[in-house]
Amino acid sequence: MAGDKKELIRLMTDFGTLGLTMAGSVFIGLGFGYYLDHKIFDGRTSPWFTFIFLGLGIIAGFKNLYHMAKRKDF
Amino acid sequence: MQEPLLFISVILRFFHLPVPEGMVGHTILAKLVSPHMTYTWFVMAILIITPKLTLGKLEMVPGNKQNFWEACVGGLEDFMADNMGPKRAAMMFPMMATFTFYILVANLLGLIPGFMSPTSNLNITLAMTLIVWFTHHFLGLRYHGFKYIKHFLGPMWWLTPLMFPIEVISNLARILSLSIRLFGNMMAHEILAAILFMLVGAFFAPVPILVLGVLVAVVQTMVFVLLSVIYCAGAMESAH
Repeated sequence: MAGDKKELIRLMTDFGTLGLTMAGSVFIGLGFGYYLDHKIFDGRTSPWFTFIFLGLGIIAGFKNLYHMAKRKDF
Repeated sequence: MQEPLLFISVILRFFHLPVPEGMVGHTILAKLVSPHMTYTWFVMAILIITPKLTLGKLEMVPGNKQNFWEACVGGLEDFMADNMGPKRAAMMFPMMATFTFYILVANLLGLIPGFMSPTSNLNITLAMTLIVWFTHHFLGLRYHGFKYIKHFLGPMWWLTPLMFPIEVISNLARILSLSIRLFGNMMAHEILAAILFMLVGAFFAPVPILVLGVLVAVVQTMVFVLLSVIYCAGAMESAH
């Protein structure tokens, strides 16, 4: 029983990060793309890096979900 | 969230120190006496002085005070050993125990009127998160060497240009989620308590929120430490 409870807490903590991590990776991708466009290349490449890195951020969020779904340790 | 009355800030203002009205000041001195810094030092003082007062010297048959600290430290070490094995838990213990006690005391401090939680400032939580983040990557590099970097490059070599940014972004998201969770929970709780106090303070409306605040403080401490332990354990395990 005690072991089950500990395992439950651990899994809840681990899976509780999913939402924030997914939203966070989208915004990190968007922010980095925007930074590249407007600070490094002075808006010459706008809006391409923003879109590319937004896409990469979304893929990273979903990859995280996929890895969590494929876990075999429970 | 600035509470209306922070007693350390009031005392410092009495000595004509430039305590900023907002969160952070402009000069170095104003930064040093801004509320989250002074309350961080207050938490450090609590954590240094209390064990000094309660623990004289260690005895074979523990008394009340020693029993309390043994339960705290022993419980924490068992909790870590469950997640990363006893040997690694002993190695990581000083850092994680520091985080645990600091965050717990800092969170609970915000419940007392006249005090604020240092953890309700993003600078504090971000600093702690960056320490955890660099530590777990350092441990990964130390235990696996080059193979640890290889595990960022994706399963096949021709996928590397795609996989590397994705892995880096999803790793950076850990910083964001770990720091913003603690900061957001503590700040939301302080704002909620302050607003309820202003609106319906005469009817003791903030009391249930303060009761929930104890729960939030303990749970967020546990979540932060457990996630740090899981990240470090994951970096030290054999790469999958």
